[in-house]
Amino acid sequence: MKTDTLIEMLAREAGPAPRALAARRLSPAAIAGLLVSAVVAIAWFGAIPVQMFGTVVPWMKMGYAGALALAAGWLTTRLSRPAAPIRQAEHATVLVVLAMALVGAASLWSVSAGDRMDALLGQSWLTCPWSVLTLSLPALAATLWAVRGLAPTRPRAAGFAAGLLAGSLGAFGYALSCPEASPAFVAVWYTLGIAFTGGVGAALGPRVLRW
Amino acid sequence: MPVDASPGDFESALKPLWLRAQSGDDAAYRQALSLLATRLRGYLKRRLYGLPDEVEDLVQETLLALHLQRGTYDPTLPVSAWAVAIARHKLVDLWRRRGRRDSLHDALDDVDEQLLAAESEEAGTRRDLETLFDELPPAQRQAIVLTKLDGLSVAEAAVRTGASESAIKVQVHRGLKRLAALVRKDS
Repeated sequence: MKTDTLIEMLAREAGPAPRALAARRLSPAAIAGLLVSAVVAIAWFGAIPVQMFGTVVPWMKMGYAGALALAAGWLTTRLSRPAAPIRQAEHATVLVVLAMALVGAASLWSVSAGDRMDALLGQSWLTCPWSVLTLSLPALAATLWAVRGLAPTRPRAAGFAAGLLAGSLGAFGYALSCPEASPAFVAVWYTLGIAFTGGVGAALGPRVLRW
Repeated sequence: MPVDASPGDFESALKPLWLRAQSGDDAAYRQALSLLATRLRGYLKRRLYGLPDEVEDLVQETLLALHLQRGTYDPTLPVSAWAVAIARHKLVDLWRRRGRRDSLHDALDDVDEQLLAAESEEAGTRRDLETLFDELPPAQRQAIVLTKLDGLSVAEAAVRTGASESAIKVQVHRGLKRLAALVRKDS
């Protein structure tokens, strides 16, 4: 087939280009990933006591995970569009992590020196990052699938961003069953779990994000 | 519209056409794709000097990708930057499939519209897209043949096949996506 014939063929009855394609593909994947992580967290680890929702603790975790999901989702859509600048979305992502780190550090400041280790490690520091990673895997499959249908020209970076998004969604679900109360714990171990998921996404990106 | 004008002129000629195409003007879309094809040919030719036979195939593969991914175009960006990013991606993909990672001397991160020099003469292709149509599932092939080759409108094709208009559009899109995948496997 001649190239002119191909052009003729592509243009004929082409109609308008789909609008907001990245958001339209990514949002359902993210919502599905979030629901699965919440349901699995409650079914597997059990929900935190209802009274805890009267405190700031679960809201802080969900606020952090939600804000990071939005920033990482923005970064993911930028990396799914060829030639789109990513700097602002990168800054937003880093800012959310830094803000949580600051809150965590400030909270350590306010407890006595002897209690700092407890505030930092809690009861579950050893399992928390792995739980976040595990809860994020369904979301990771969904976000990678969504990005694959777009046009990522930097597959490793796009995989990393999709992983951060999935990790944030998994962390959101884990917040429903995590009994830890210290912001410092969240700033370190939640972030680590989210970073693990980002790492898995980056490792998978070059292989699964081909188009 | 002179194809050998300076890169800035190229973008300013292309962008209004492209924006009209994005909102559904098929004639503008055809013109925009022709302009892009000419430039992409020049871009790819200079990077495939060892493989001149691959140039036109890659031009076609890139055009197919531009079409399938037109929803990822961000109107705040130059159309040529977006198109070059996709062409470069397809070029890297070709090298990778051929196991020649190091053959691309170009700095990959730097999108420069000046890379888009014009090359209007079309060389022959190694593969014929039309023969790949035979490998498409029947419903997809039929939707593509009716609307894209026989020149029926989507509405007419819907009447002819008894499928809904949106079903026809979906089959066309899926068929072209499948075709793009077949092209990658084939080369």
